[in-house]
Amino acid sequence: MELQLDLYGPLFLHTLSYWWVIVPSIFLGLLVGAIPGFSAANTIIILLPLTLVMDVEVGLIFMVALYCSSRMGAGIPAILVNIPGTAGAAATPLDGYPMTKAGRGQQALAMSFVASSLGGLLTTVLALMTMPWLAQVGYYMHSVEMIVVMLFGISLIASIAARDTLKGLIAGFFGLMIGSIGADHVYATPRGTMGFLELYDGVPLIPALVGLFAVSEAFLIIEAQSILSRHSRDLLKTAGWSATLEGARIALARWWHITWNSIIGLVIGVIPGAGASIASFVAYQQSRTYSKTPEAYGTGHPEGLIAPESANNGVTAGTLIPLLILGIPGGATAAIMLVVMQYHGVIMGPHLFSDRPDLGYGVFMAMAVTYLIMSFTILPLSRYMSKVTLVSTAYMAPIIIAFTLVGSFVPREYMFDMALGLVFGVIGYIARKTGYHVAAILIGVILGPLLEQYFLRALKMSEGDISVLFSSSLGNVLWVALFVTVLTPFALDYKRRRRAAHG
Amino acid sequence: MNETGGKKSIGGDFVIPVAALVFTLYYFSTIIESPWTAQVAAFFIGAILIALTLLFLVKSAIAIGRGQADLGMNAVIAPTGLLATRLGLLAITAAYLVLIEWGGFTLTTFGFLLAAMLLLNRGQRAGFITLFALAVSLGGYLIFILAFETRFPRGPFEELIQAAMQAGI
Repeated sequence: MELQLDLYGPLFLHTLSYWWVIVPSIFLGLLVGAIPGFSAANTIIILLPLTLVMDVEVGLIFMVALYCSSRMGAGIPAILVNIPGTAGAAATPLDGYPMTKAGRGQQALAMSFVASSLGGLLTTVLALMTMPWLAQVGYYMHSVEMIVVMLFGISLIASIAARDTLKGLIAGFFGLMIGSIGADHVYATPRGTMGFLELYDGVPLIPALVGLFAVSEAFLIIEAQSILSRHSRDLLKTAGWSATLEGARIALARWWHITWNSIIGLVIGVIPGAGASIASFVAYQQSRTYSKTPEAYGTGHPEGLIAPESANNGVTAGTLIPLLILGIPGGATAAIMLVVMQYHGVIMGPHLFSDRPDLGYGVFMAMAVTYLIMSFTILPLSRYMSKVTLVSTAYMAPIIIAFTLVGSFVPREYMFDMALGLVFGVIGYIARKTGYHVAAILIGVILGPLLEQYFLRALKMSEGDISVLFSSSLGNVLWVALFVTVLTPFALDYKRRRRAAHG
Repeated sequence: MNETGGKKSIGGDFVIPVAALVFTLYYFSTIIESPWTAQVAAFFIGAILIALTLLFLVKSAIAIGRGQADLGMNAVIAPTGLLATRLGLLAITAAYLVLIEWGGFTLTTFGFLLAAMLLLNRGQRAGFITLFALAVSLGGYLIFILAFETRFPRGPFEELIQAAMQAGI
């Protein structure tokens, strides 16, 4: 496969002419991304009959625009009301919500939009340039390497635990234990299911996300009339366009941070089975580790918001690379795109770029145009969206509970999942009131089963030989990187304290 | 964690570790006779969790022994003035989950929003709340069920509208 640079200009203009498909798809994507339980994948499935009757190019542009904007949409409730729309935005409220509570919600949204658009646009261009090489990444990432990638994400628990180590670690390991519920990956032995058949496939993520973040938040916010203090309300009410511009300026000034974290997202996105949640946790953890002000993370630090948002949008381009070049979907949305393309008789693989370059390169061009259009259409909305936080909690809390619990019903259509959402809500409420971080529990629930799956696969293939974990060159490089990442905060902290002691 | 009379009330801090400990022991009981593939990760994670929990319990017991903390539950129940409202909201939410299977999304959501908003507003602005709850639940129906055909729980209202539409009314 060769790069066809001369094709990009005309293709860009051609894709731009489909703005009439892209703009409504963006708004639809923002809506479905913002409500837990409604992912881009679900929406594309719902609208599948419509997608199939569309011209293949229009259908593809529609799906890509919806996919990109839903990623950005998931960050909006995460910032404004501490409720991530998808698991990929679970690291966003760590610093986004404290900014909102301080009356800087508009600024935080602007930062998130710029980081998402720029991160997505940059990784799309990078994906276009490096597709043939990036597609190979999946071949080198076996179980051992994936174990280390998972541990990168899980090590974020240690960062979250920094303020109260014992409570943070208890929350994280409790999450890992909950994540172990379900049939084991080899013999399908049910474990810890309490007799519920609905838990044999493991703990579903949406009810966990909805309960730990949304329901617990709804029960917490009723303690005051507003989620904002009087000062923050005044600040938000009087904020003009300057807050949006300031947010955009703060994000743009951290262009290197956006670049670095979106590339983390791109590379993780290329790996089949990995996804936005892993990418955003890894990015947040990396960002905090190498920051000069790690203690500011979790208090409304701009870099703590920019890192996960640029990473989860970087994933978007990454997941499509194995789909287009190898015919292997990198995620649920990519798998549905594969179905639609096959229905239209389009065969995925390297030949796509020679036989139908308008579609092969067109996917990434649609992505680039979507991110460009999004940056102009969505950024001004931050001023109005942030006003949601002015709504009284007496109205906001019941709406959050009703719509998020019903959202947890949608993926599997089990009433059980709604009840599970409430159970997680009670756990999340008690955890928050007593200083256990719900994000640490969620990291365990998300990454625990994946880690176990890769761990068992590696052990089975090596016939129980544990040294397999250190048997690959790439894996060993990643192990070294992991240890450096885990130990660096301690080294930097020691250095800082020594410097302070010496005046 | 709250402070009462100079002492920290840490009773609430035990809920998560004790729940974790009980769940881990239950989990172990379900895998004790399973193949090693089902046990290895759980025993590893569970053992660490038990060790962390015991460490926390010992640390807390020392604080209580030294008179620096007590077993008060203030952290969980504060502010106490809102306890009844919070329990009421929990009860309404539980009723919502039970009833939605038969009542469907629109009717049950209307009832839930009405009851919850009236509770949180202490019965004031009943007229506005009724209209608001009606608008939100109907809006949800129009957007999610009618426009996007999302798989929300269906009940008499949804069936009635569907039948009316099929009959061309």
